[in-house]
Amino acid sequence: MRFFSAVSTTILFTVVTALAQDVGSTRADWPHYGGSPYSWRYSALDQINTSNVKSLTPAWMFQTGDYAENLQATPIVVDGVMYLITAQAHVFALDAATGREIWNYRYPPVPRSIPGFIGNRGVAVGDGKVFFGTKDDYMVALDQKTGHLLWKVNIDDARQCGCNVTAAPMVVKDKVIVGGTGGDGAHRGYITAFNTRTGRLAWRWYVIPGPGEKGHETWKGDSWRFGGGAPWMTGSYDPALNLLYWGTGNAAADFYDTERVAVGADKSKDVNLYTASVVALDPDTGKLRWHYQEVPDDVWDYDSSYEVVLIDREFRGRMRQALVHVNKSGLTSVLDRVTGEFLGAFSVPEVRTWIAGITEDGKLVGRNEPAMGKTISVCPSAAGAKSWNSTAYSPRTGFLYVPVNEMCNDITPNNHPADEGKNYMNGDFPFKLPAGRSTFSHVDAWDPVTGKRAWSMPYKYVLLASMLATAGDLVFTGNPEGDFFALDARNGNKLWSYQTGAGHRGSAVSYSVNGRQYIATPTGWHSSVVGALAQSLFPDQDWRLGSTLVVFALPEGSR
Amino acid sequence: MRMSCIRLTLYVMTPLALSVPCQAQNVANVVKQGEAVFSKTCATGYCHGIRGGPSGAPRLAARGFDQAYISKVVTQGVPDTGMASFSSRLSPPDLVAVIAYVATLNGIANPDVSMDGAGDAVSSRPTLTGEAARGARLFSEAVRSFGRCSTCHEAGGFGIPVAAPLAKVPASTADLKALATPDVKTGSMGGESMPVLVLSQGKQSVVFYDLTSAPPVQRNAEPGAVKFTDGSKWRHSSVIGAYNDSELAAILDYLRAVIKP
Repeated sequence: MRFFSAVSTTILFTVVTALAQDVGSTRADWPHYGGSPYSWRYSALDQINTSNVKSLTPAWMFQTGDYAENLQATPIVVDGVMYLITAQAHVFALDAATGREIWNYRYPPVPRSIPGFIGNRGVAVGDGKVFFGTKDDYMVALDQKTGHLLWKVNIDDARQCGCNVTAAPMVVKDKVIVGGTGGDGAHRGYITAFNTRTGRLAWRWYVIPGPGEKGHETWKGDSWRFGGGAPWMTGSYDPALNLLYWGTGNAAADFYDTERVAVGADKSKDVNLYTASVVALDPDTGKLRWHYQEVPDDVWDYDSSYEVVLIDREFRGRMRQALVHVNKSGLTSVLDRVTGEFLGAFSVPEVRTWIAGITEDGKLVGRNEPAMGKTISVCPSAAGAKSWNSTAYSPRTGFLYVPVNEMCNDITPNNHPADEGKNYMNGDFPFKLPAGRSTFSHVDAWDPVTGKRAWSMPYKYVLLASMLATAGDLVFTGNPEGDFFALDARNGNKLWSYQTGAGHRGSAVSYSVNGRQYIATPTGWHSSVVGALAQSLFPDQDWRLGSTLVVFALPEGSR
Repeated sequence: MRMSCIRLTLYVMTPLALSVPCQAQNVANVVKQGEAVFSKTCATGYCHGIRGGPSGAPRLAARGFDQAYISKVVTQGVPDTGMASFSSRLSPPDLVAVIAYVATLNGIANPDVSMDGAGDAVSSRPTLTGEAARGARLFSEAVRSFGRCSTCHEAGGFGIPVAAPLAKVPASTADLKALATPDVKTGSMGGESMPVLVLSQGKQSVVFYDLTSAPPVQRNAEPGAVKFTDGSKWRHSSVIGAYNDSELAAILDYLRAVIKP
């Protein structure tokens, strides 16, 4: 593994640059899924800080009434109004100071013949509209003021593609852009952009290049048709560079590559493009500008589909417009976001057996690959050293805050043929806990410049909620037992905790209304997929579902 | 072989001594098939575990389920969960087999492997061959993105029902290309003119599809905000242009096989 050459750590706890601090921060509003389009999940509000966080108390709560699954959504706050979506796409506009309902819109129930998990990670707000994706694969636009349906457009036939939308869409200029699921089935992933005003298709970018397109040659035979790569989370955007950044999903079949990779292929770079990659696209046209593949020939289900964090920092004496990107393996790339140039990488899990290491220029070494007729133990698991729940970045500390899980799986591949829209993981992969440990997750603070871990707070179960960082030098997140807590961003000391009554699998935000700062967190444990997998490893635990937003503030008059 | 056993046990009065070995062998075969279906479709790691163990979805083994309950869940799904209805995603024999397999995981040593074992949901779907099978693929081929028939039409369980259900299949590709589309009107809204398919005109809102480009966009407008006039420059022939005549002929064969007049 390569770390960056030692750079003075005196930059810690200082403002990195005035410009860098401003662009990625939020203030009164929380306008985007990742806070700002730079995906820092960092609020510049500091009314709630390390000295007074112990007084934090609930200001209001909102029970959504949709208890089919948990509340995963990142609330969006614009001009004192919060926009919240539930697992089954019940959308609410709430007074962000009181929780009073302004309007609500209930998307019609999706027929049970539509395959896919129930869940929705958020709306996007822009152009006077509230946008969201659905399980039956529609993009929907509501009037931001009234909640009335303005338009809806089908993205794909969910029954055929086995794909859905669970990610929050992203508004960039006059377009609303969204990725989809389905990359663990026989499906060819894509990102789609619609015109915000009319709903008409603007562009679609397929993760897997078609015949005649560059990169198509990295696929064997017809495997490109169903090769996965679904970019199932939300991207980032740099307005100055006019570049859209997105992480793409794993190649399919997940654990069996014989159908998609030629015998003797060079796996040191660019296999099955553009799966398990970070890509930069022109948001106006959907054209690819550059790519960086993190896991060539992904045979471990290590999606790269997570958030792309855009930061400006000095690397080896030179200011760089960089990005930091954690993928499921926990291998975290640092790239120049103008060109895609590799600047360095670090690995966040403590137990790692999928590779032995990486070279100075980012190549994987000592791949521990599944093989037919064998069962191999691989750490981290396909649930990820980090799941989809986001990191946060504070420009005050210069740290990336990462929720890391230590789980492993025993992979036994199989060779079922591709069947469009049906499961195409091609492997059994029961989960297990690594031996010799008493804690199985940790909140880490990583310096993306040095690639060093500054501090780590261990936790005995798993951490599957997003991080929130604030200028009060606080980092907030929640655990499956229901505790929502604040850590000192500088050293990881736990400063405050509140039992919310249900497990955490969502994304907290901060905002202010009339000068009062709020911290809002969705609650409710995830009863399927990774949440259920993790729960099955701790059979004595009973992590509770729910769908309640809990909003905290300092007591009135105490400010 | 297996199907002939089923027919024997269902329809032929056979001496007990002959039918029992056949049934036993048949049950074993069906359960084995069900295990394969389960492994591929259900034990996907993020859903159920292998052999019905716990995973991203609940444990299914040793839960005391009876076969009727298993059949109901598999064919109808479970409301408010990720458990979909598989009645249209698995073939009838695979449905019967996977239900039988899950029954054995619950201590039912000799599950019902007749088609009745899958309850009401097992319906006969036409088995397509030749040009009709090719047409079925072409109708909804993913590589065509929004340039495929299923962008606007639903048939055989796939597609988006933008257009009214297909009731009559054109006699030839020439007829298909020349298809009259009197329902497509011209809508005017905000100074913009567009081809539209009107869904409803209520007192609260007017709902229509904007056919300017594929995929069609369902738009809702306040009454008075949009005006419709008969006729349009929109032509069906222009949206099927990505198909050649041979492909269109195969699609018509497919539609004849699945659409009952």
